[in-house]
Amino acid sequence: MAQPQPVPAASDAALISAWQAGDEQAAAELVGRHARALARFLAGAGAPEADLDDVVQETFIRAFRGVERFRGQCQFRTWLMTIGGNVLKDLARRSARRQVMPLDESVRDGAGDPHEHAEAREAEAQLAAGLKRLPRLQREVFLLRAQQGLEYEEIAVALATTPGAARVHYHHAVRRLKEIVE
Amino acid sequence: MKHDGTSHDGRLHETAQRLGQRAADRLDVDGIARQVLQRLREEPARQTTWIHQTWLRIAAAVVILVGGAFALRSVWSNSDAGNHVAHFVADDLNDLSTDELEAVLTSFDDLITVDSVAVPESSDDLRELDAQQLRQVLRSLEG
Repeated sequence: MAQPQPVPAASDAALISAWQAGDEQAAAELVGRHARALARFLAGAGAPEADLDDVVQETFIRAFRGVERFRGQCQFRTWLMTIGGNVLKDLARRSARRQVMPLDESVRDGAGDPHEHAEAREAEAQLAAGLKRLPRLQREVFLLRAQQGLEYEEIAVALATTPGAARVHYHHAVRRLKEIVE
Repeated sequence: MKHDGTSHDGRLHETAQRLGQRAADRLDVDGIARQVLQRLREEPARQTTWIHQTWLRIAAAVVILVGGAFALRSVWSNSDAGNHVAHFVADDLNDLSTDELEAVLTSFDDLITVDSVAVPESSDDLRELDAQQLRQVLRSLEG
């Protein structure tokens, strides 16, 4: 008996077109597809965990409202992250007195070796603290490269810079993070 | 993607990839999608309000600019007109004879008190002034 062929997932571009034509489900599909990656980026960039849902939500709202500005110059997910960076900047401006804590230390994962977990958590906390001390561009280039695995060409388009400049920002970020972490 | 350089860079990448993972896992994606859609449905009304506010601001700015331009223009034209009149009066004074100047002064006597005019100290009566002194008095009246 012939196996049913899996339905190929619609591309981001197709979902964006469908949303622009009024298909709400397409927008929901885009949220489902990119929300967690966006949340990881935002958490790394300093979004307080308590506000993470709101920041992700606001990022999607801005993206969908301004979707006509997205012309496929980079991946939709990368474009979302640049918008998320702006949302985060606005949030920091509004609540300048509030301390930004990217990691929720109170939440513990019970599985695995507790010692390894503690070490991993400490390394994450150090990296998060180091990232907070970097200039915004260096921080975002580092996260897009190291966390999201993007190439310099893609990062350059997203952040309106050149691949060479993105590479320089990345290396500066790594050098400073090593100093901080060590 | 290749790691850039040393194994330390690799560890940095691994740590970066874990960063925010637990927070992302706890994200209520379906809830976010519902809220996003709900807010997007409300967007047209908010956009209309924004457009109205924007047009009102633009209209107010235009009114202020046009009004300011008219005000400045009227100030400048009055200033120019004043200079113009003074110029003609000065020219006319040079053309007047002593008798004519005395006639002008007589008509001024009816309009202006003597206290406000700079009369030469040596003279008590305007009629005793010569042509040069009368011109001086008239110029002082021009301000």
